[in-house]
Amino acid sequence: MDYYETEEDSALTTFNVEEAKEIIRSAVEGVVGGNVYQHSRVKQWNSSVIEQCLSQLNKLGKPFKYIVNCIIMQKTGAGLQTACACFWDNSTDGCCAVKWENESMHCIVNVFGMAI
Amino acid sequence: MTGMEEFHNGSEGAFNSEEADNIVKECIESVVGGDDYSQSQVNKWTASIVERCLTQLVKSWKPYKYIVTCAVMQKTGAGLHTANSCYWDTAMDGSCTVRWENRTMNCVVSVFAVAIA
Repeated sequence: MDYYETEEDSALTTFNVEEAKEIIRSAVEGVVGGNVYQHSRVKQWNSSVIEQCLSQLNKLGKPFKYIVNCIIMQKTGAGLQTACACFWDNSTDGCCAVKWENESMHCIVNVFGMAI
Repeated sequence: MTGMEEFHNGSEGAFNSEEADNIVKECIESVVGGDDYSQSQVNKWTASIVERCLTQLVKSWKPYKYIVTCAVMQKTGAGLHTANSCYWDTAMDGSCTVRWENRTMNCVVSVFAVAIA
Protein backbone atom coordinates (compact mmCIF):
# COMPACT_ATOMS: atom_id res chain seq x y z
CA MET A 1 0.00 0.00 0.00
CA ASP A 2 1.46 3.36 -0.96
CA TYR A 3 1.34 6.29 1.39
CA TYR A 4 0.62 9.53 -0.37
CA GLU A 5 0.94 12.73 1.62
CA THR A 6 -1.38 15.48 0.48
CA GLU A 7 -0.46 19.15 0.68
CA GLU A 8 -2.85 19.58 3.59
CA ASP A 9 -1.15 16.73 5.48
CA SER A 10 2.21 18.30 4.89
CA ALA A 11 1.03 21.70 6.13
CA LEU A 12 -0.13 20.15 9.38
CA THR A 13 2.99 18.14 10.06
CA THR A 14 5.76 20.56 9.09
CA PHE A 15 6.88 23.67 10.91
CA ASN A 16 5.73 26.83 9.13
CA VAL A 17 8.49 29.41 9.47
CA GLU A 18 6.61 32.38 7.99
CA GLU A 19 3.65 31.85 10.26
CA ALA A 20 5.91 31.67 13.31
CA LYS A 21 7.78 34.83 12.26
CA GLU A 22 4.51 36.76 11.99
CA ILE A 23 3.45 35.61 15.43
CA ILE A 24 6.79 36.64 16.94
CA ARG A 25 6.86 40.05 15.24
CA SER A 26 3.41 41.00 16.43
CA ALA A 27 4.13 39.79 19.98
CA VAL A 28 7.38 41.79 20.21
CA GLU A 29 5.86 44.95 18.70
CA GLY A 30 2.90 44.72 21.00
CA VAL A 31 4.96 44.29 24.17
CA VAL A 32 8.13 46.39 23.74
CA GLY A 33 7.37 48.52 20.69
CA GLY A 34 7.78 52.19 21.57
CA ASN A 35 9.45 51.54 24.94
CA VAL A 36 12.89 52.51 26.20
CA TYR A 37 15.07 49.86 27.89
CA GLN A 38 14.31 49.77 31.61
CA HIS A 39 15.98 47.33 33.96
CA SER A 40 12.93 47.23 36.21
CA ARG A 41 10.58 46.26 33.40
CA VAL A 42 12.66 43.96 31.23
CA LYS A 43 11.73 40.80 33.15
CA GLN A 44 8.04 41.52 32.65
CA TRP A 45 8.56 42.24 28.96
CA ASN A 46 10.44 39.01 28.42
CA SER A 47 7.68 37.00 30.10
CA SER A 48 4.97 38.74 28.11
CA VAL A 49 6.66 38.24 24.75
CA ILE A 50 7.19 34.56 25.45
CA GLU A 51 3.69 33.97 26.79
CA GLN A 52 2.08 35.66 23.82
CA CYS A 53 4.20 33.76 21.31
CA LEU A 54 3.50 30.43 22.96
CA SER A 55 -0.25 30.94 23.22
CA GLN A 56 -0.52 32.09 19.60
CA LEU A 57 1.53 29.10 18.45
CA ASN A 58 -0.70 26.72 20.40
CA LYS A 59 -3.79 28.29 18.84
CA LEU A 60 -2.56 26.99 15.48
CA GLY A 61 -3.62 23.58 16.76
CA LYS A 62 -0.76 21.63 15.19
CA PRO A 63 0.68 18.47 16.78
CA PHE A 64 3.90 20.21 17.83
CA LYS A 65 5.96 20.80 20.94
CA TYR A 66 7.33 24.36 21.11
CA ILE A 67 10.28 26.07 22.74
CA VAL A 68 10.39 29.88 22.73
CA ASN A 69 13.55 31.72 23.77
CA CYS A 70 13.77 35.50 24.11
CA ILE A 71 16.79 37.75 24.72
CA ILE A 72 16.49 41.46 25.43
CA MET A 73 19.70 43.45 25.53
CA GLN A 74 20.32 47.10 26.26
CA LYS A 75 22.08 48.97 23.45
CA THR A 76 25.44 50.15 24.71
CA GLY A 77 27.73 48.94 21.95
CA ALA A 78 28.51 45.64 23.68
CA GLY A 79 28.94 42.65 21.39
CA LEU A 80 26.43 39.80 21.48
CA GLN A 81 26.61 36.58 19.50
CA THR A 82 24.06 33.77 19.65
CA ALA A 83 24.03 30.36 18.00
CA CYS A 84 21.99 27.17 18.15
CA ALA A 85 22.33 23.58 17.00
CA CYS A 86 19.52 21.05 16.72
CA PHE A 87 19.33 17.28 16.55
CA TRP A 88 15.89 16.42 15.22
CA ASP A 89 13.81 15.30 12.27
CA ASN A 90 14.61 17.65 9.37
CA SER A 91 11.48 16.79 7.44
CA THR A 92 9.01 17.95 10.11
CA ASP A 93 10.82 20.10 12.67
CA GLY A 94 12.02 23.65 12.27
CA CYS A 95 13.05 26.88 13.90
CA CYS A 96 13.02 30.56 13.23
CA ALA A 97 14.75 33.57 14.71
CA VAL A 98 13.45 37.13 14.67
CA LYS A 99 15.73 40.07 15.47
CA TRP A 100 14.02 43.30 16.45
CA GLU A 101 15.47 46.58 17.68
CA ASN A 102 14.71 50.15 18.56
CA GLU A 103 17.00 53.00 19.73
CA SER A 104 17.56 51.56 23.20
CA MET A 105 17.45 47.77 22.94
CA HIS A 106 17.81 44.62 20.89
CA CYS A 107 15.29 41.79 21.12
CA ILE A 108 16.04 38.34 19.69
CA VAL A 109 13.34 35.67 19.75
CA ASN A 110 13.91 32.04 18.73
CA VAL A 111 11.08 29.57 18.22
CA PHE A 112 11.72 25.84 17.84
CA GLY A 113 8.90 23.52 16.77
CA MET A 114 9.13 19.76 16.98
CA ALA A 115 6.51 17.40 15.58
CA ILE A 116 5.04 14.94 18.01
CA MET B 1 1.93 22.53 30.12
CA THR B 2 4.14 25.63 30.19
CA GLY B 3 7.03 26.48 32.43
CA MET B 4 9.33 29.49 32.72
CA GLU B 5 13.10 29.15 33.19
CA GLU B 6 15.52 31.91 34.07
CA PHE B 7 19.16 31.06 34.74
CA HIS B 8 18.50 27.97 36.79
CA ASN B 9 18.48 24.29 36.01
CA GLY B 10 15.14 22.60 35.48
CA SER B 11 15.03 18.92 36.29
CA GLU B 12 11.97 17.26 34.81
CA GLY B 13 11.06 13.65 34.40
CA ALA B 14 13.35 11.32 32.52
CA PHE B 15 15.83 13.95 31.30
CA ASN B 16 19.03 13.97 33.31
CA SER B 17 19.75 17.67 33.59
CA GLU B 18 22.78 17.20 35.87
CA GLU B 19 24.54 15.12 33.26
CA ALA B 20 23.73 17.72 30.60
CA ASP B 21 24.96 20.47 32.95
CA ASN B 22 28.36 18.78 33.25
CA ILE B 23 28.63 18.22 29.52
CA VAL B 24 27.87 21.88 28.83
CA LYS B 25 30.32 23.23 31.45
CA GLU B 26 33.08 21.07 30.00
CA CYS B 27 32.37 22.23 26.45
CA ILE B 28 32.33 25.92 27.39
CA GLU B 29 35.59 25.62 29.33
CA SER B 30 37.32 23.85 26.49
CA VAL B 31 36.25 26.43 23.89
CA VAL B 32 36.48 29.81 25.66
CA GLY B 33 38.06 29.09 29.04
CA GLY B 34 41.00 31.47 29.44
CA ASP B 35 40.16 33.65 26.41
CA ASP B 36 39.19 37.31 26.34
CA TYR B 37 36.19 38.50 24.32
CA SER B 38 37.19 38.90 20.71
CA GLN B 39 34.79 40.09 18.02
CA SER B 40 36.65 38.21 15.31
CA GLN B 41 36.54 34.91 17.19
CA VAL B 42 33.14 34.97 18.87
CA ASN B 43 31.36 33.58 15.82
CA LYS B 44 33.63 30.56 15.84
CA TRP B 45 33.28 30.12 19.60
CA THR B 46 29.48 30.01 19.68
CA ALA B 47 29.43 27.58 16.76
CA SER B 48 31.99 25.33 18.48
CA ILE B 49 30.17 25.37 21.79
CA VAL B 50 26.81 24.35 20.34
CA GLU B 51 28.38 21.75 18.08
CA ARG B 52 30.39 20.14 20.87
CA CYS B 53 27.49 20.09 23.30
CA LEU B 54 25.22 18.51 20.72
CA THR B 55 27.78 15.87 19.78
CA GLN B 56 28.31 14.89 23.42
CA LEU B 57 24.58 14.76 24.14
CA VAL B 58 23.83 12.61 21.13
CA LYS B 59 26.58 10.15 22.12
CA SER B 60 24.42 9.01 25.03
CA TRP B 61 22.05 7.46 22.44
CA LYS B 62 18.90 8.33 24.35
CA PRO B 63 15.61 8.68 22.43
CA TYR B 64 15.63 12.49 22.47
CA LYS B 65 15.64 15.36 20.03
CA TYR B 66 18.03 18.07 21.25
CA ILE B 67 18.27 21.82 20.87
CA VAL B 68 21.31 23.69 22.15
CA THR B 69 21.42 27.49 22.20
CA CYS B 70 24.34 29.67 23.20
CA ALA B 71 24.68 33.42 23.75
CA VAL B 72 28.04 35.09 24.34
CA MET B 73 28.06 38.71 25.43
CA GLN B 74 30.91 41.12 25.95
CA LYS B 75 31.07 42.52 29.49
CA THR B 76 30.49 46.26 29.33
CA GLY B 77 27.85 46.71 31.98
CA ALA B 78 24.97 46.50 29.50
CA GLY B 79 21.80 44.84 30.74
CA LEU B 80 20.86 41.46 29.30
CA HIS B 81 17.79 39.40 30.14
CA THR B 82 17.02 36.04 28.62
CA ALA B 83 14.07 33.74 29.26
CA ASN B 84 12.47 30.71 27.66
CA SER B 85 9.23 28.82 27.91
CA CYS B 86 8.32 25.39 26.61
CA TYR B 87 5.12 23.69 25.62
CA TRP B 88 5.83 19.97 25.94
CA ASP B 89 5.42 16.82 28.00
CA THR B 90 6.77 17.74 31.44
CA ALA B 91 7.11 14.09 32.45
CA MET B 92 9.58 13.19 29.72
CA ASP B 93 11.08 16.40 28.35
CA GLY B 94 13.48 18.69 30.11
CA SER B 95 16.01 21.46 29.87
CA CYS B 96 19.02 22.88 31.59
CA THR B 97 20.65 26.29 31.43
CA VAL B 98 24.27 27.00 32.31
CA ARG B 99 25.60 30.48 32.98
CA TRP B 100 29.35 30.94 32.72
CA GLU B 101 31.52 34.03 32.86
CA ASN B 102 35.05 35.24 32.97
CA ARG B 103 36.59 38.69 33.19
CA THR B 104 35.51 39.86 29.75
CA MET B 105 32.39 37.93 28.75
CA ASN B 106 29.19 36.23 29.80
CA CYS B 107 28.08 32.95 28.24
CA VAL B 108 24.61 31.41 28.59
CA VAL B 109 23.99 27.94 27.16
CA SER B 110 20.59 26.22 27.21
CA VAL B 111 19.91 22.60 26.36
CA PHE B 112 16.38 21.40 25.58
CA ALA B 113 15.61 17.69 25.26
CA VAL B 114 12.34 16.53 23.77
CA ALA B 115 11.48 12.84 24.04
CA ILE B 116 10.72 10.94 20.89
CA ALA B 117 7.49 8.96 21.32
